[in-house]
Amino acid sequence: MNLSYRIYYVFLRNLISYKRFIIPTFVVSLGQPLFYLVTFGLGMGAYMGHFGGKPYLHFLVPGVLISSVMMAATFECLYGTFVKIVHEHLYDSLVATPVSAEDAVAGDIAWASFRGLISGTLMLIIAMALGVLPASWTALPALVLLMIFTGLLFASLAMIVTSVAPNFDFFSYYTELIITPMFFFSGVFFPLDRFPAWMQTFAQFLPLTHAVALSRALFAGEISSALLIHIAALCALGTVAFVVGIKRMKKRLIT
Amino acid sequence: MDSVISADRLTKKYGELTAVDAISFSINEGECFGFLGPNGAGKTTTVRMIHCVSPISEGSVSVFGQAAGINNRAIKKITGVIPQEITLDNDLTVYENLMVFARFFDIPRSEAKERVAGLLAFVELEHKRNSRIGQLSTGMKRRILIARALLNNPRLIIADEPTTGLDPQARHLIWQRLRSLKKQGVTLILTTQYMEEAEQLCDRIVVMYQGRILKEGVPQRLVQDEIGREVVEIRASEEGDAGLLATLSPLYTGHERAGDTLYLYCTDSHALMERMLSLNLPNVLHRPATLEDVFLKLTGRSLIE
Ligand SMILES: Nc1ncnc2c1ncn2[C@@H]1O[C@H](COP(=O)(O)OP(=O)(O)OP(=O)(O)O)[C@@H](O)[C@H]1O
Ligand SMILES: [Mg+2]
Repeated sequence: MNLSYRIYYVFLRNLISYKRFIIPTFVVSLGQPLFYLVTFGLGMGAYMGHFGGKPYLHFLVPGVLISSVMMAATFECLYGTFVKIVHEHLYDSLVATPVSAEDAVAGDIAWASFRGLISGTLMLIIAMALGVLPASWTALPALVLLMIFTGLLFASLAMIVTSVAPNFDFFSYYTELIITPMFFFSGVFFPLDRFPAWMQTFAQFLPLTHAVALSRALFAGEISSALLIHIAALCALGTVAFVVGIKRMKKRLIT
Repeated sequence: MDSVISADRLTKKYGELTAVDAISFSINEGECFGFLGPNGAGKTTTVRMIHCVSPISEGSVSVFGQAAGINNRAIKKITGVIPQEITLDNDLTVYENLMVFARFFDIPRSEAKERVAGLLAFVELEHKRNSRIGQLSTGMKRRILIARALLNNPRLIIADEPTTGLDPQARHLIWQRLRSLKKQGVTLILTTQYMEEAEQLCDRIVVMYQGRILKEGVPQRLVQDEIGREVVEIRASEEGDAGLLATLSPLYTGHERAGDTLYLYCTDSHALMERMLSLNLPNVLHRPATLEDVFLKLTGRSLIE
Protein backbone atom coordinates (compact mmCIF):
# COMPACT_ATOMS: atom_id res chain seq x y z
CA MET A 1 0.00 0.00 0.00
CA ASN A 2 1.19 3.39 -1.03
CA LEU A 3 0.91 5.20 2.31
CA SER A 4 3.02 8.20 3.29
CA TYR A 5 3.27 11.08 5.76
CA ARG A 6 0.90 12.96 3.44
CA ILE A 7 -1.97 11.42 5.40
CA TYR A 8 -1.32 14.33 7.72
CA TYR A 9 -2.06 16.87 4.97
CA VAL A 10 -5.44 15.29 4.35
CA PHE A 11 -6.14 15.34 8.08
CA LEU A 12 -5.16 18.99 8.15
CA ARG A 13 -7.54 19.82 5.30
CA ASN A 14 -10.36 18.28 7.31
CA LEU A 15 -9.35 20.17 10.41
CA ILE A 16 -9.43 23.50 8.55
CA SER A 17 -12.85 22.81 7.10
CA TYR A 18 -14.10 21.54 10.47
CA LYS A 19 -13.80 24.84 12.25
CA ARG A 20 -16.92 26.05 10.45
CA PHE A 21 -19.01 23.10 11.57
CA ILE A 22 -17.68 22.67 15.04
CA ILE A 23 -20.77 23.75 16.98
CA PRO A 24 -23.36 21.81 14.96
CA THR A 25 -21.24 18.67 15.11
CA PHE A 26 -20.89 18.97 18.88
CA VAL A 27 -24.65 19.07 19.14
CA VAL A 28 -25.11 16.11 16.80
CA SER A 29 -22.45 13.89 18.27
CA LEU A 30 -23.53 14.56 21.83
CA GLY A 31 -27.29 14.43 21.37
CA GLN A 32 -27.83 10.71 21.14
CA PRO A 33 -25.39 9.51 23.81
CA LEU A 34 -26.66 12.15 26.21
CA PHE A 35 -30.15 10.91 25.55
CA TYR A 36 -29.09 7.39 26.54
CA LEU A 37 -27.33 8.60 29.64
CA VAL A 38 -30.30 10.58 30.83
CA THR A 39 -33.06 8.09 30.00
CA PHE A 40 -31.25 4.86 30.82
CA GLY A 41 -28.73 6.11 33.32
CA LEU A 42 -30.74 8.48 35.44
CA GLY A 43 -34.29 7.39 34.59
CA MET A 44 -33.99 3.62 34.47
CA GLY A 45 -31.06 3.61 36.85
CA ALA A 46 -33.45 4.66 39.60
CA TYR A 47 -35.30 1.33 39.18
CA MET A 48 -32.27 -0.82 38.48
CA GLY A 49 -30.70 -0.22 41.83
CA HIS A 50 -27.05 -1.08 42.14
CA PHE A 51 -24.86 -2.93 39.71
CA GLY A 52 -21.86 -4.59 41.24
CA GLY A 53 -22.01 -2.25 44.18
CA LYS A 54 -22.27 0.96 42.18
CA PRO A 55 -25.17 2.93 40.68
CA TYR A 56 -26.26 1.83 37.19
CA LEU A 57 -24.84 5.02 35.69
CA HIS A 58 -21.36 3.74 36.45
CA PHE A 59 -22.10 0.65 34.44
CA LEU A 60 -23.58 2.63 31.57
CA VAL A 61 -21.04 5.41 31.07
CA PRO A 62 -18.08 3.39 29.72
CA GLY A 63 -20.30 1.70 27.14
CA VAL A 64 -22.12 4.80 26.00
CA LEU A 65 -18.85 6.68 25.81
CA ILE A 66 -17.21 4.18 23.51
CA SER A 67 -20.42 3.89 21.48
CA SER A 68 -20.36 7.63 20.89
CA VAL A 69 -16.86 7.18 19.49
CA MET A 70 -18.20 4.46 17.21
CA MET A 71 -21.10 6.61 16.04
CA ALA A 72 -19.06 9.71 15.31
CA ALA A 73 -16.36 7.82 13.42
CA THR A 74 -18.93 5.81 11.49
CA PHE A 75 -20.95 8.80 10.38
CA GLU A 76 -17.89 10.74 9.34
CA CYS A 77 -16.72 7.98 6.99
CA LEU A 78 -20.21 7.30 5.69
CA TYR A 79 -21.77 10.67 5.01
CA GLY A 80 -18.71 12.89 5.27
CA THR A 81 -16.61 10.84 2.90
CA PHE A 82 -19.46 10.16 0.50
CA VAL A 83 -20.13 13.87 0.08
CA LYS A 84 -16.46 14.49 -0.54
CA ILE A 85 -16.22 11.80 -3.21
CA VAL A 86 -19.47 12.03 -5.05
CA HIS A 87 -20.78 15.52 -4.53
CA GLU A 88 -17.66 17.58 -4.26
CA HIS A 89 -15.17 15.52 -6.32
CA LEU A 90 -12.65 16.38 -3.67
CA TYR A 91 -10.73 13.16 -4.00
CA ASP A 92 -10.36 13.69 -7.74
CA SER A 93 -8.22 16.73 -7.18
CA LEU A 94 -6.39 15.12 -4.27
CA VAL A 95 -5.17 12.15 -6.24
CA ALA A 96 -3.79 14.42 -8.95
CA THR A 97 -1.20 15.64 -6.43
CA PRO A 98 1.59 13.63 -4.79
CA VAL A 99 -1.03 12.58 -2.23
CA SER A 100 -1.96 9.01 -3.19
CA ALA A 101 -5.45 7.57 -3.06
CA GLU A 102 -4.34 5.50 -0.06
CA ASP A 103 -3.07 8.62 1.70
CA ALA A 104 -6.35 10.35 1.04
CA VAL A 105 -8.48 7.52 2.37
CA ALA A 106 -6.22 6.92 5.38
CA GLY A 107 -6.33 10.65 6.07
CA ASP A 108 -10.09 10.54 6.18
CA ILE A 109 -10.04 7.49 8.45
CA ALA A 110 -7.62 9.25 10.78
CA TRP A 111 -9.85 12.28 10.74
CA ALA A 112 -12.94 10.22 11.54
CA SER A 113 -11.08 8.66 14.43
CA PHE A 114 -10.27 12.13 15.69
CA ARG A 115 -13.94 13.05 15.45
CA GLY A 116 -14.67 9.96 17.52
CA LEU A 117 -12.10 11.04 20.06
CA ILE A 118 -13.75 14.46 20.35
CA SER A 119 -17.17 12.90 20.90
CA GLY A 120 -15.80 10.48 23.45
CA THR A 121 -13.92 13.21 25.27
CA LEU A 122 -17.00 15.38 25.48
CA MET A 123 -18.89 12.42 26.91
CA LEU A 124 -16.11 11.86 29.38
CA ILE A 125 -16.34 15.43 30.59
CA ILE A 126 -20.08 15.09 31.08
CA ALA A 127 -19.66 11.76 32.84
CA MET A 128 -17.09 13.27 35.16
CA ALA A 129 -19.49 16.07 35.93
CA LEU A 130 -22.01 13.38 36.86
CA GLY A 131 -19.42 11.85 39.14
CA VAL A 132 -18.41 8.89 36.99
CA LEU A 133 -14.63 8.88 36.72
CA PRO A 134 -12.03 6.54 35.30
CA ALA A 135 -10.39 4.38 37.93
CA SER A 136 -7.25 6.48 38.07
CA TRP A 137 -5.48 9.25 36.20
CA THR A 138 -3.22 6.69 34.66
CA ALA A 139 -6.26 5.06 33.05
CA LEU A 140 -6.88 8.26 31.08
CA PRO A 141 -4.15 7.88 28.44
CA ALA A 142 -5.20 4.26 27.99
CA LEU A 143 -8.79 5.42 27.50
CA VAL A 144 -7.69 7.99 24.92
CA LEU A 145 -5.78 5.29 23.09
CA LEU A 146 -8.79 3.03 23.18
CA MET A 147 -10.99 5.79 21.77
CA ILE A 148 -8.54 6.48 18.95
CA PHE A 149 -8.31 2.84 18.10
CA THR A 150 -12.05 2.25 18.29
CA GLY A 151 -12.45 5.24 16.00
CA LEU A 152 -9.98 3.83 13.48
CA LEU A 153 -11.75 0.51 13.49
CA PHE A 154 -15.25 1.86 12.93
CA ALA A 155 -14.08 4.49 10.47
CA SER A 156 -12.44 1.73 8.42
CA LEU A 157 -15.57 -0.43 8.55
CA ALA A 158 -17.66 2.55 7.41
CA MET A 159 -15.15 3.19 4.63
CA ILE A 160 -15.80 -0.31 3.30
CA VAL A 161 -19.52 0.45 3.24
CA THR A 162 -18.96 3.80 1.53
CA SER A 163 -16.75 2.20 -1.10
CA VAL A 164 -19.74 0.27 -2.43
CA ALA A 165 -22.52 2.75 -1.64
CA PRO A 166 -24.47 3.93 -4.69
CA ASN A 167 -26.27 6.66 -2.71
CA PHE A 168 -27.07 8.00 0.75
CA ASP A 169 -29.99 5.64 1.30
CA PHE A 170 -27.61 2.72 1.23
CA PHE A 171 -26.11 3.87 4.52
CA SER A 172 -29.30 3.27 6.46
CA TYR A 173 -28.91 -0.47 5.82
CA TYR A 174 -25.61 -0.32 7.59
CA THR A 175 -26.64 1.97 10.43
CA GLU A 176 -30.06 0.38 11.03
CA LEU A 177 -29.14 -3.26 10.46
CA ILE A 178 -25.63 -3.37 11.85
CA ILE A 179 -24.61 -0.40 13.94
CA THR A 180 -27.81 0.04 15.97
CA PRO A 181 -28.26 -3.68 16.78
CA MET A 182 -24.58 -3.88 17.69
CA PHE A 183 -25.22 -1.15 20.19
CA PHE A 184 -27.71 -3.39 22.00
CA PHE A 185 -25.82 -6.68 21.71
CA SER A 186 -22.43 -5.50 22.91
CA GLY A 187 -23.07 -5.14 26.58
CA VAL A 188 -23.51 -1.39 26.60
CA PHE A 189 -26.76 -1.45 28.55
CA PHE A 190 -26.75 -4.86 30.24
CA PRO A 191 -23.97 -7.16 31.38
CA LEU A 192 -23.37 -9.82 28.75
CA ASP A 193 -23.23 -12.64 31.30
CA ARG A 194 -26.99 -12.38 31.78
CA PHE A 195 -27.58 -13.10 28.08
CA PRO A 196 -28.27 -16.66 26.83
CA ALA A 197 -25.13 -18.55 25.84
CA TRP A 198 -25.68 -18.26 22.07
CA MET A 199 -26.00 -14.51 22.38
CA GLN A 200 -22.81 -14.30 24.38
CA THR A 201 -21.01 -16.21 21.65
CA PHE A 202 -22.53 -13.96 19.02
CA ALA A 203 -21.45 -10.88 20.94
CA GLN A 204 -17.83 -12.00 20.78
CA PHE A 205 -17.94 -11.41 17.04
CA LEU A 206 -19.05 -7.81 17.42
CA PRO A 207 -16.17 -5.36 17.54
CA LEU A 208 -18.04 -3.06 19.89
CA THR A 209 -18.21 -5.81 22.54
CA HIS A 210 -14.44 -5.75 22.91
CA ALA A 211 -14.21 -1.98 22.97
CA VAL A 212 -16.91 -1.80 25.64
CA ALA A 213 -15.21 -4.45 27.74
CA LEU A 214 -11.93 -2.55 27.66
CA SER A 215 -13.55 0.77 28.38
CA ARG A 216 -15.43 -0.67 31.35
CA ALA A 217 -12.26 -2.24 32.73
CA LEU A 218 -10.50 1.13 32.54
CA PHE A 219 -13.32 2.81 34.44
CA ALA A 220 -13.50 0.04 37.04
CA GLY A 221 -9.74 -0.27 37.35
CA GLU A 222 -9.97 -4.01 36.79
CA ILE A 223 -6.90 -4.56 34.68
CA SER A 224 -6.01 -8.18 34.09
CA SER A 225 -4.54 -10.45 31.46
CA ALA A 226 -8.10 -11.43 30.56
CA LEU A 227 -8.26 -8.16 28.67
CA LEU A 228 -5.63 -9.30 26.21
CA ILE A 229 -8.21 -11.21 24.20
CA HIS A 230 -10.18 -8.00 23.69
CA ILE A 231 -7.07 -6.09 22.69
CA ALA A 232 -6.12 -8.83 20.24
CA ALA A 233 -9.63 -8.91 18.79
CA LEU A 234 -9.69 -5.13 18.27
CA CYS A 235 -6.22 -5.09 16.72
CA ALA A 236 -7.02 -7.92 14.34
CA LEU A 237 -10.37 -6.48 13.27
CA GLY A 238 -8.94 -2.99 13.03
CA THR A 239 -6.04 -4.02 10.81
CA VAL A 240 -8.22 -6.04 8.47
CA ALA A 241 -10.85 -3.32 8.22
CA PHE A 242 -8.22 -0.64 7.60
CA VAL A 243 -6.52 -2.54 4.80
CA VAL A 244 -9.75 -3.65 3.16
CA GLY A 245 -11.32 -0.19 3.53
CA ILE A 246 -8.41 1.50 1.82
CA LYS A 247 -8.20 -1.08 -0.96
CA ARG A 248 -11.91 -1.01 -1.68
CA MET A 249 -12.02 2.75 -1.65
CA LYS A 250 -9.04 3.04 -3.94
CA LYS A 251 -10.91 0.86 -6.42
CA ARG A 252 -13.77 3.30 -6.34
CA LEU A 253 -11.55 6.36 -6.66
CA ILE A 254 -9.11 5.28 -9.34
CA THR A 255 -10.90 4.22 -12.51
CA MET B 1 13.05 19.97 -30.27
CA ASP B 2 12.94 17.46 -27.44
CA SER B 3 9.95 15.27 -27.03
CA VAL B 4 8.97 15.24 -23.36
CA ILE B 5 5.79 13.21 -23.50
CA SER B 6 5.40 10.22 -25.70
CA ALA B 7 2.61 7.72 -25.86
CA ASP B 8 2.91 4.35 -27.47
CA ARG B 9 -0.31 2.53 -28.34
CA LEU B 10 -1.89 3.98 -25.23
CA THR B 11 -5.15 2.20 -24.49
CA LYS B 12 -7.92 2.47 -21.92
CA LYS B 13 -10.71 -0.03 -21.56
CA TYR B 14 -13.70 0.26 -19.30
CA GLY B 15 -15.08 -3.26 -19.41
CA GLU B 16 -16.27 -3.79 -22.95
CA LEU B 17 -15.83 -0.16 -23.93
CA THR B 18 -12.52 0.94 -25.40
CA ALA B 19 -12.40 4.61 -24.45
CA VAL B 20 -8.89 5.17 -25.82
CA ASP B 21 -7.81 2.87 -28.59
CA ALA B 22 -4.05 2.38 -29.00
CA ILE B 23 -3.11 5.98 -29.70
CA SER B 24 0.47 7.15 -30.17
CA PHE B 25 1.68 10.73 -30.08
CA SER B 26 4.59 12.76 -28.89
CA ILE B 27 4.68 16.23 -27.41
CA ASN B 28 7.66 18.57 -27.48
CA GLU B 29 8.99 20.66 -24.66
CA GLY B 30 7.38 24.08 -24.51
CA GLU B 31 4.67 23.43 -27.05
CA CYS B 32 0.93 23.58 -26.67
CA PHE B 33 -0.58 20.32 -27.80
CA GLY B 34 -4.32 20.06 -28.33
CA PHE B 35 -6.71 17.16 -28.20
CA LEU B 36 -9.83 17.99 -30.17
CA GLY B 37 -12.86 15.83 -30.26
CA PRO B 38 -16.59 15.63 -29.68
CA ASN B 39 -18.17 14.44 -26.44
CA GLY B 40 -16.99 10.99 -25.47
CA ALA B 41 -14.04 10.99 -27.89
CA GLY B 42 -11.66 9.97 -25.10
CA LYS B 43 -9.89 13.28 -24.46
CA THR B 44 -10.32 13.31 -20.70
CA THR B 45 -9.48 9.64 -20.43
CA THR B 46 -6.25 10.24 -22.37
CA VAL B 47 -5.05 13.14 -20.24
CA ARG B 48 -6.01 11.32 -17.06
CA MET B 49 -3.66 8.52 -18.04
CA ILE B 50 -0.92 11.07 -18.72
CA HIS B 51 -1.15 12.56 -15.26
CA CYS B 52 -1.48 9.17 -13.62
CA VAL B 53 -4.94 9.22 -12.12
CA SER B 54 -6.29 6.54 -14.43
CA PRO B 55 -4.53 3.18 -14.77
CA ILE B 56 -3.37 2.35 -18.28
CA SER B 57 -4.97 -0.75 -19.80
CA GLU B 58 -2.39 -1.33 -22.53
CA GLY B 59 0.50 0.50 -24.11
CA SER B 60 2.46 3.18 -22.31
CA VAL B 61 3.09 6.86 -21.92
CA SER B 62 6.17 8.54 -20.52
CA VAL B 63 6.23 12.03 -19.08
CA PHE B 64 9.53 13.85 -18.69
CA GLY B 65 11.34 10.54 -18.72
CA GLN B 66 9.10 8.86 -16.14
CA ALA B 67 6.72 6.06 -17.00
CA ALA B 68 3.11 6.77 -16.08
CA GLY B 69 1.79 3.98 -13.89
CA ILE B 70 5.20 3.43 -12.32
CA ASN B 71 6.64 6.76 -11.22
CA ASN B 72 3.30 8.39 -10.57
CA ARG B 73 4.41 10.60 -7.72
CA ALA B 74 7.32 11.99 -9.69
CA ILE B 75 5.00 12.88 -12.57
CA LYS B 76 2.35 14.40 -10.33
CA LYS B 77 4.94 16.60 -8.67
CA ILE B 78 5.78 18.39 -11.90
CA THR B 79 2.30 18.48 -13.39
CA GLY B 80 -0.44 21.04 -12.90
CA VAL B 81 -3.97 19.93 -13.72
CA ILE B 82 -6.92 22.12 -14.61
CA PRO B 83 -9.69 19.53 -14.52
CA GLN B 84 -12.80 19.52 -16.65
CA GLU B 85 -15.02 19.40 -13.57
CA ILE B 86 -14.77 22.12 -10.98
CA THR B 87 -13.19 20.28 -8.08
CA LEU B 88 -12.63 23.10 -5.64
CA ASP B 89 -13.16 22.53 -1.94
CA ASN B 90 -16.53 24.05 -1.12
CA ASP B 91 -15.92 23.95 2.61
CA LEU B 92 -12.92 26.25 2.37
CA THR B 93 -12.29 29.82 1.28
CA VAL B 94 -10.35 30.63 -1.88
CA TYR B 95 -7.23 31.29 0.15
CA GLU B 96 -7.60 28.11 2.20
CA ASN B 97 -8.18 26.09 -0.94
CA LEU B 98 -4.85 27.20 -2.33
CA MET B 99 -2.94 26.91 0.93
CA VAL B 100 -4.19 23.38 1.58
CA PHE B 101 -3.35 22.36 -1.95
CA ALA B 102 0.15 23.77 -1.59
CA ARG B 103 0.67 21.49 1.39
CA PHE B 104 -0.18 18.48 -0.76
CA PHE B 105 2.93 19.37 -2.76
CA ASP B 106 5.09 19.74 0.36
CA ILE B 107 5.43 23.49 -0.19
CA PRO B 108 6.42 25.10 3.12
CA ARG B 109 3.89 27.51 4.61
CA SER B 110 5.83 30.73 4.17
CA GLU B 111 6.61 29.97 0.57
CA ALA B 112 3.04 28.85 -0.06
CA LYS B 113 1.77 32.21 1.21
CA GLU B 114 3.93 34.03 -1.29
CA ARG B 115 2.93 31.83 -4.17
CA VAL B 116 -0.76 32.04 -3.35
CA ALA B 117 -0.60 35.83 -3.26
CA GLY B 118 1.23 35.88 -6.59
CA LEU B 119 -1.19 33.47 -8.23
CA LEU B 120 -4.27 35.27 -7.00
CA ALA B 121 -2.85 38.36 -8.67
CA PHE B 122 -2.09 36.35 -11.80
CA VAL B 123 -5.72 35.30 -12.17
CA GLU B 124 -6.94 38.72 -10.98
CA LEU B 125 -8.89 37.44 -8.02
CA GLU B 126 -7.11 38.98 -5.05
CA HIS B 127 -10.35 40.57 -3.96
CA LYS B 128 -11.99 37.14 -3.63
CA ARG B 129 -9.32 35.81 -1.32
CA ASN B 130 -11.66 35.25 1.61
CA SER B 131 -14.76 34.24 -0.32
CA ARG B 132 -16.19 30.77 -0.10
CA ILE B 133 -16.18 28.83 -3.36
CA GLY B 134 -19.97 28.88 -3.53
CA GLN B 135 -19.87 32.66 -3.76
CA LEU B 136 -17.85 32.67 -6.99
CA SER B 137 -19.06 32.70 -10.58
CA THR B 138 -18.13 29.80 -12.86
CA GLY B 139 -15.51 31.92 -14.59
CA MET B 140 -13.92 32.82 -11.28
CA LYS B 141 -13.92 29.19 -10.19
CA ARG B 142 -12.12 28.25 -13.40
CA ARG B 143 -9.52 30.93 -12.76
CA ILE B 144 -8.99 29.59 -9.24
CA LEU B 145 -8.50 26.16 -10.78
CA ILE B 146 -5.75 27.68 -12.92
CA ALA B 147 -4.12 29.28 -9.91
CA ARG B 148 -4.32 25.98 -8.07
CA ALA B 149 -2.73 24.12 -10.98
CA LEU B 150 0.25 26.50 -10.87
CA LEU B 151 1.05 26.19 -7.16
CA ASN B 152 3.77 23.61 -7.71
CA ASN B 153 5.45 25.56 -10.55
CA PRO B 154 4.63 22.76 -12.97
CA ARG B 155 6.67 21.97 -16.07
CA LEU B 156 3.59 20.45 -17.62
CA ILE B 157 0.10 21.88 -17.48
CA ILE B 158 -2.90 19.85 -18.47
CA ALA B 159 -6.00 21.92 -19.16
CA ASP B 160 -9.11 19.83 -19.76
CA GLU B 161 -11.66 22.05 -21.48
CA PRO B 162 -10.66 25.05 -19.40
CA THR B 163 -13.17 27.49 -20.87
CA THR B 164 -16.31 25.39 -21.10
CA GLY B 165 -19.33 27.36 -20.00
CA LEU B 166 -17.60 30.74 -19.90
CA ASP B 167 -18.56 34.02 -21.53
CA PRO B 168 -16.23 35.46 -24.21
CA GLN B 169 -14.50 37.83 -21.81
CA ALA B 170 -13.70 35.18 -19.26
CA ARG B 171 -12.57 32.90 -22.06
CA HIS B 172 -10.18 35.49 -23.45
CA LEU B 173 -8.72 36.12 -20.01
CA ILE B 174 -8.02 32.42 -19.59
CA TRP B 175 -6.47 32.22 -23.05
CA GLN B 176 -4.17 35.10 -22.22
CA ARG B 177 -3.08 33.41 -19.03
CA LEU B 178 -2.41 30.13 -20.76
CA ARG B 179 -0.42 31.92 -23.48
CA SER B 180 1.69 33.73 -20.94
CA LEU B 181 2.45 30.41 -19.24
CA LYS B 182 3.55 29.02 -22.55
CA LYS B 183 5.86 31.98 -22.99
CA GLN B 184 7.50 31.01 -19.73
CA GLY B 185 8.41 27.70 -21.28
CA VAL B 186 5.75 25.48 -19.75
CA THR B 187 4.54 22.55 -21.84
CA LEU B 188 0.79 22.67 -22.26
CA ILE B 189 -1.74 19.98 -23.05
CA LEU B 190 -5.17 21.28 -23.90
CA THR B 191 -8.37 19.45 -24.62
CA THR B 192 -11.20 21.34 -26.19
CA GLN B 193 -14.29 21.18 -28.30
CA TYR B 194 -13.87 24.79 -29.38
CA MET B 195 -12.00 25.11 -32.64
CA GLU B 196 -11.29 28.74 -31.96
CA GLU B 197 -9.58 27.79 -28.73
CA ALA B 198 -7.35 25.31 -30.52
CA GLU B 199 -6.48 27.88 -33.18
CA GLN B 200 -5.73 30.49 -30.55
CA LEU B 201 -3.50 28.34 -28.39
CA CYS B 202 -2.23 25.17 -29.99
CA ASP B 203 0.96 24.61 -31.94
CA ARG B 204 -0.16 21.15 -32.88
CA ILE B 205 -3.40 19.29 -32.50
CA VAL B 206 -4.79 15.83 -32.89
CA VAL B 207 -8.41 15.24 -33.77
CA MET B 208 -9.81 12.41 -31.67
CA TYR B 209 -12.93 10.44 -32.36
CA GLN B 210 -14.18 7.26 -30.71
CA GLY B 211 -10.90 6.74 -28.92
CA ARG B 212 -8.73 7.07 -32.01
CA ILE B 213 -6.62 9.83 -33.48
CA LEU B 214 -7.99 10.72 -36.91
CA LYS B 215 -5.54 13.47 -37.87
CA GLU B 216 -2.57 15.23 -36.46
CA GLY B 217 -0.97 18.49 -37.45
CA VAL B 218 -0.53 22.24 -37.20
CA PRO B 219 -4.00 23.85 -37.04
CA GLN B 220 -3.58 26.13 -40.09
CA ARG B 221 -1.98 23.42 -42.17
CA LEU B 222 -4.72 20.95 -41.30
CA VAL B 223 -7.32 23.38 -42.56
CA GLN B 224 -5.36 23.89 -45.78
CA ASP B 225 -4.86 20.20 -46.40
CA GLU B 226 -8.28 18.96 -45.47
CA ILE B 227 -10.55 21.72 -46.65
CA GLY B 228 -8.70 24.33 -48.66
CA ARG B 229 -8.96 28.03 -48.08
CA GLU B 230 -12.64 28.76 -48.43
CA VAL B 231 -16.02 27.25 -47.83
CA VAL B 232 -19.28 27.98 -49.58
CA GLU B 233 -22.43 26.96 -47.74
CA ILE B 234 -25.60 26.49 -49.70
CA ARG B 235 -28.80 26.04 -47.79
CA ALA B 236 -30.99 24.01 -50.11
CA SER B 237 -32.72 20.65 -50.01
CA GLU B 238 -30.76 17.54 -50.82
CA GLU B 239 -32.63 16.57 -54.03
CA GLY B 240 -30.84 19.24 -56.06
CA ASP B 241 -27.36 18.15 -54.95
CA ALA B 242 -26.47 15.91 -57.88
CA GLY B 243 -27.46 18.44 -60.50
CA LEU B 244 -25.85 21.33 -58.68
CA LEU B 245 -22.59 19.50 -58.08
CA ALA B 246 -22.41 18.55 -61.75
CA THR B 247 -22.99 22.13 -62.82
CA LEU B 248 -20.37 23.55 -60.47
CA SER B 249 -17.74 20.89 -61.08
CA PRO B 250 -14.70 21.23 -61.19
CA LEU B 251 -14.72 24.58 -59.39
CA TYR B 252 -14.71 22.99 -55.92
CA THR B 253 -12.26 20.52 -54.41
CA GLY B 254 -14.63 18.70 -52.12
CA HIS B 255 -18.16 18.72 -50.78
CA GLU B 256 -20.22 17.50 -47.90
CA ARG B 257 -23.89 17.42 -47.07
CA ALA B 258 -25.19 17.87 -43.52
CA GLY B 259 -28.86 18.35 -42.82
CA ASP B 260 -30.16 21.31 -44.78
CA THR B 261 -26.75 22.53 -45.89
CA LEU B 262 -24.41 21.62 -48.72
CA TYR B 263 -20.77 22.56 -48.05
CA LEU B 264 -18.38 23.15 -50.94
CA TYR B 265 -14.65 23.41 -50.29
CA CYS B 266 -12.35 25.35 -52.58
CA THR B 267 -9.01 27.11 -52.77
CA ASP B 268 -10.18 30.00 -54.93
CA SER B 269 -13.86 30.76 -54.68
CA HIS B 270 -13.85 33.45 -57.32
CA ALA B 271 -14.96 31.36 -60.26
CA LEU B 272 -17.27 29.30 -58.09
CA MET B 273 -19.09 32.33 -56.76
CA GLU B 274 -19.44 33.77 -60.23
CA ARG B 275 -21.04 30.57 -61.49
CA MET B 276 -23.36 30.48 -58.51
CA LEU B 277 -24.44 34.07 -59.07
CA SER B 278 -25.48 33.13 -62.56
CA LEU B 279 -27.52 30.27 -61.10
CA ASN B 280 -29.21 32.82 -58.87
CA LEU B 281 -29.20 30.58 -55.78
CA PRO B 282 -30.72 31.97 -52.60
CA ASN B 283 -29.15 31.39 -49.18
CA VAL B 284 -25.50 31.18 -50.08
CA LEU B 285 -22.76 31.91 -47.55
CA HIS B 286 -19.14 32.32 -48.44
CA ARG B 287 -16.48 32.29 -45.73
CA PRO B 288 -12.89 31.31 -44.96
CA ALA B 289 -12.31 27.67 -43.98
CA THR B 290 -11.69 27.03 -40.27
CA LEU B 291 -10.60 24.22 -38.07
CA GLU B 292 -14.25 23.63 -37.37
CA ASP B 293 -14.70 22.46 -40.95
CA VAL B 294 -11.86 20.00 -40.54
CA PHE B 295 -13.30 18.78 -37.32
CA LEU B 296 -16.76 18.37 -38.75
CA LYS B 297 -15.48 16.78 -41.92
CA LEU B 298 -13.49 14.23 -39.95
CA THR B 299 -16.01 13.43 -37.27
CA GLY B 300 -19.13 13.83 -39.35
CA ARG B 301 -21.33 16.87 -39.64
CA SER B 302 -24.26 15.29 -37.92
CA LEU B 303 -24.17 14.90 -34.18
CA ILE B 304 -23.03 11.42 -33.28
CA GLU B 305 -22.99 10.32 -29.67
N1 LIG C 1 -15.07 5.97 -15.22
C1 LIG C 1 -15.60 5.53 -16.36
N2 LIG C 1 -16.22 4.34 -16.42
C2 LIG C 1 -16.75 3.88 -17.57
N3 LIG C 1 -16.70 4.54 -18.72
C3 LIG C 1 -16.10 5.73 -18.75
C4 LIG C 1 -15.52 6.30 -17.58
N4 LIG C 1 -14.99 7.50 -17.90
C5 LIG C 1 -15.23 7.68 -19.21
N5 LIG C 1 -15.89 6.63 -19.73
C6 LIG C 1 -16.30 6.48 -21.14
O1 LIG C 1 -15.17 6.63 -21.95
C7 LIG C 1 -15.47 7.35 -23.14
C8 LIG C 1 -14.56 8.54 -23.28
O2 LIG C 1 -14.87 9.47 -22.27
P1 LIG C 1 -14.05 10.79 -22.04
O3 LIG C 1 -14.55 11.41 -20.79
O4 LIG C 1 -12.61 10.51 -22.12
O5 LIG C 1 -14.49 11.68 -23.28
P2 LIG C 1 -14.16 13.19 -23.59
O6 LIG C 1 -13.55 13.22 -24.94
O7 LIG C 1 -13.40 13.81 -22.50
O8 LIG C 1 -15.63 13.81 -23.69
P3 LIG C 1 -16.18 15.24 -23.21
O9 LIG C 1 -15.86 16.20 -24.31
O10 LIG C 1 -17.64 15.01 -23.12
O11 LIG C 1 -15.54 15.58 -21.94
C9 LIG C 1 -16.95 7.70 -23.05
O12 LIG C 1 -17.67 6.78 -23.79
C10 LIG C 1 -17.27 7.56 -21.58
O13 LIG C 1 -18.59 7.16 -21.41
MG1 LIG D 1 -13.73 15.30 -21.18
